[in-house]
Amino acid sequence: METVSLLKRLSEVPGLSGVETPVRALVRELWTPLVHELREDGLGNLVAICQGSSSEPRPKLMLAAHMDEIGLRVTGVEKGFLRITRVGGTDRRVLPGMEVTVHGKKDLPGIIGMRPPHVLPPDQRDKTLPWEEYFVDVGLPEEEVKALVRVGDPISFRREATELKNGLLTGKALDNRVSVAVVTLALEHLSYTAHAWDVVAVATVQEEVGLYGATTAAYGVAPEMAVAVDVTFGRQAGVSNQDSFPLGEGVTIGVGPNFHPAVVERLKMVADKHEIPYKIDPIPGRSGTDAWAIQVSREGVPTGLVSIPLRYMHQPVETVAVKDVERAGRLLALLAASLEPDFRPRWEDEG
Amino acid sequence: MENLIRKLTETYGPSGFEDTIRAVLRAEVEPFADEIRVTPLGNLVAVKKGRGGEPRRMLAAHMDEIGVIVTHIDEKGFLRFTPIGGVSPLTCLGARVRFENGTLGVIGVEKREDPQKAPTFEQLYIDVGATGRADCPVRVGDAAVFERPFAAQGRRWVAKAMDDRIGCAVLVETLRQIEPVAGDVYFVFSAQEETTLSGAMTAAYGIEPEMAIAVDVTGTGDTPESRPMAVELGKGPAVKVQDAGMIAHPRVRDLLVQAAEAAGVPYQMEVLERGTTDAAATQLVRSGIPSGCLSIPCRYVHTPSEMVDREDVEGAVRVLLQALRIP
Repeated sequence: METVSLLKRLSEVPGLSGVETPVRALVRELWTPLVHELREDGLGNLVAICQGSSSEPRPKLMLAAHMDEIGLRVTGVEKGFLRITRVGGTDRRVLPGMEVTVHGKKDLPGIIGMRPPHVLPPDQRDKTLPWEEYFVDVGLPEEEVKALVRVGDPISFRREATELKNGLLTGKALDNRVSVAVVTLALEHLSYTAHAWDVVAVATVQEEVGLYGATTAAYGVAPEMAVAVDVTFGRQAGVSNQDSFPLGEGVTIGVGPNFHPAVVERLKMVADKHEIPYKIDPIPGRSGTDAWAIQVSREGVPTGLVSIPLRYMHQPVETVAVKDVERAGRLLALLAASLEPDFRPRWEDEG
Repeated sequence: MENLIRKLTETYGPSGFEDTIRAVLRAEVEPFADEIRVTPLGNLVAVKKGRGGEPRRMLAAHMDEIGVIVTHIDEKGFLRFTPIGGVSPLTCLGARVRFENGTLGVIGVEKREDPQKAPTFEQLYIDVGATGRADCPVRVGDAAVFERPFAAQGRRWVAKAMDDRIGCAVLVETLRQIEPVAGDVYFVFSAQEETTLSGAMTAAYGIEPEMAIAVDVTGTGDTPESRPMAVELGKGPAVKVQDAGMIAHPRVRDLLVQAAEAAGVPYQMEVLERGTTDAAATQLVRSGIPSGCLSIPCRYVHTPSEMVDREDVEGAVRVLLQALRIP
């Protein structure tokens, strides 16, 4: 699969938290040829099983990437304009001038315009305005809007993914569609690579609103080991070196209480062996990613986290290095291939 | 118990890095437990088998402690860090920290515009005596705990990590003294309480007890100009009614009161406005596990000099022994 076009497709497809249908359909299409079994669980997670070669019952490695994205939701219709609120951590500072798609009875293109600076009171000109000042305009008269759009309808950002220079790609929803691409590349790699364990790939839902998809997915899959894939802060102007990672210089591996040392060690070992560059991302508590929901499932799941450095998180210009996405895909596939049938991530004194 | 408490409080074990403290605790409980296991999150579970009846009960004391984790190392070998759990920048000034590999670090602070103001973590760094990145003996992702020796003075014991090694000591002592009761008793030395409560949460899922009792420290209101709180050092262990994370199940609360009265141990009722314990997590496991907490009053919680009263600690052991005998 060609990574740039894969990333573009995944970036551009809508799929807000709780309304993931369009992105789920795309992931289903991408994964179907690569796996043995595909199911959707009660919350809408897409669960794909890629069978291993060892004898049954086989241990399961769960790879989780959330497919939902942040966005907006209609809260009212006023004079034909749509009042909005956010779904997930949408940053309203970047909304003015945005093009969106309103998912009403049919998809409607819309835009977010603000009052012109000329008519704003001077004390408001340099400020981020409250949500009450934001409206979506779909261009239709009030009666037609009301016929097509209801309170509660989702609104997604409309943004073509674009290649920047130097192997970078920018677009909306790259948090966390890059990781869906990573898992897709890993599944493709595994389709021609021997592996003893079952690999259970999960495109999770509702991560941006509370890690809910991963919570039920991990319970249902009950894996022996799991790795969540997500994005981390890329180096950009105004962000300190200790809080961010350079784009294009490799993936990150999370270290801290959220991650089992044996999983971390195995990830590092595989990366070292195959010369896949990585950096250590120290995370002192819950990681805020699916890795936390998975780790505390049932009696606990040994879990790791692989992240792609990304600039401008939660803005429609999220930017990653394509190289890092490919490296992460390789790392996950080679991790799966490295697992001996009797390997279990255990504490030294676990017995 | 003093030697045990000294040993437990002086051992290294920040949240998520509990291997060392788990090994120390394991050696303490091994002679007295019928079964021992380590769970996927790194909890140590010691089982005291009962006489084949009910109920199955779980006691939990967390073995992890607050600390710091290295986020960046500069070219001169100075470390930047972020806290693991509830660390205050104020207690970092002049503090020493110890890494798992034995490396000692000193916490320094940058020049500040207003030295009267408390520093932020971004202004603090750890100096391990390295001359550059190359000879720095620790790496990004390594964790450290505060370094402070245990001390006994009068009725009081003072140490770092009294939260919650004192609870661990109470559990060890209870396990040593207990005769088999009707049901199995699970002594859980939990991981990761200070960050997420995820150790006790997952342990409770595996054990599926009929009741869970956390043993942890609580604050006091008996020091100069302290936040008002009706718990004092030396007035006995405290039976938790409510804290910021839970309301104790009445059945657990009443069992602990009944046990204290039957054992003739003075006790206090506790309402804690800030902070919570493993019980907040265990009560939500599966279809709900009645959970409560027996608290050890402790001054200066989350500083490297946490102070408890020995009679409160010894009283807690007697209350637990009595409570476990009540069906």
